[in-house]
Amino acid sequence: MSEPVASVRNLSKRFGTKEALIDVTAEVEQGDVIGVLGKNGAGKTTLLEILLGFSPPSAGSTMIFGENSLQLSEAAKARIGFVPQQDELLGMLSGKQQVAIGAVFHKRWDHALIDRLLVDWEVPTDRRIHTLSVGERQKLSVLLALGHHAGLLVLDEPVASLDPIARRRFLQELFDVGENPTRAVLFSSHIVSDLERAANKVWIIKDGRLYWQGYVDTLKESVVRLHVRARAPLPSVVPVPHRLACRVEGNRATVAVAEWSAAKRDALAKELEADVEVEPLGLEEIFIELHK
Amino acid sequence: MLKPQSGIPIYRQLVEQITRLIAGGQLAPGATLPSVRELALEHAVNPMTISKAYALLEADGWLERHRGKPMTVASRRRSQAALTQRLAQLEKPVDELVLAARQLEITKKELVTLLNKKWEDGDV
Repeated sequence: MSEPVASVRNLSKRFGTKEALIDVTAEVEQGDVIGVLGKNGAGKTTLLEILLGFSPPSAGSTMIFGENSLQLSEAAKARIGFVPQQDELLGMLSGKQQVAIGAVFHKRWDHALIDRLLVDWEVPTDRRIHTLSVGERQKLSVLLALGHHAGLLVLDEPVASLDPIARRRFLQELFDVGENPTRAVLFSSHIVSDLERAANKVWIIKDGRLYWQGYVDTLKESVVRLHVRARAPLPSVVPVPHRLACRVEGNRATVAVAEWSAAKRDALAKELEADVEVEPLGLEEIFIELHK
Repeated sequence: MLKPQSGIPIYRQLVEQITRLIAGGQLAPGATLPSVRELALEHAVNPMTISKAYALLEADGWLERHRGKPMTVASRRRSQAALTQRLAQLEKPVDELVLAARQLEITKKELVTLLNKKWEDGDV
């Protein structure tokens, strides 16, 4: 196995008395596209910012390309692309001037790619940035992070203000890795459908803890909703292992469970003396069930 | 064709759809498949997801991999699957359908009427 692109070890962060992150451990491997999912205020931005070395952890540590986030070399920094939640574009410049600055800062700047994306993504380049719409600014901001073919791309809510067509183009660009198949992407988003398409893995952050991490496929196969129909009235809490949420009405019940596998159905049906129907859940519904 | 927001993982949707196309003869032996990159871009899904589906189909003998060329539908065995084999693939969804119909207290006749209507509509 090659060295992880980034790693987080037992990371905790306190702001005064508030615990923003609690004992988070995770890794980003080459080629990963990881979606960071969580409610507002769950700690997504804090996690990304500490990983990038913008603020020190209260406990634990984070590394990028094998270097401590707080002491990244220039060479390591040059291999990172970052799109912050609030863009850091210079309002008085035109799009063209802002792109020129990006090109100056990076040795390996892909002029052809950026020229193409400016056209494809319909970003006005002659107007001053402060006259652009929020969506146009966001497109420009994402585009600038793609220009130097970063080995690690970190995007904090990169597509929140983009329309569906722009979001689709953005995802396609994310996958057109071409010469850089080892690039890893870490992006937070509350637009679950984008995560569902793009991410091979998810990190679900809940109240500062990394509540679930792993492959999207595994998550979908292990969290399901069971529709139970028994011959006799069911107890108010249906006894199912790894139960998340449960609603009982007489001899019918709806139960969300984790760590499910198809093989468990028959045994459960027998134990409850019931018909058990399994409903697979999309990521959005899984997210909601995990927060009940 | 792919529904990323469904509870069925995307790689499994792909595997099921491609096996159905091969078993049904719409994808003939020797037919080439789009590259991982093409499919990933078309649907804006992660290329690893497509690779995973292709690898599973290859392991099961549905597809053949060729160095530096597109994958093709395997020339022998399953490509001309017998009717019983094709029907076997429908068993699980049909079980689920029948169970759901019973739970909704829908009669066999009503269900068959619905099936007929869906079959004729042609927009499925």
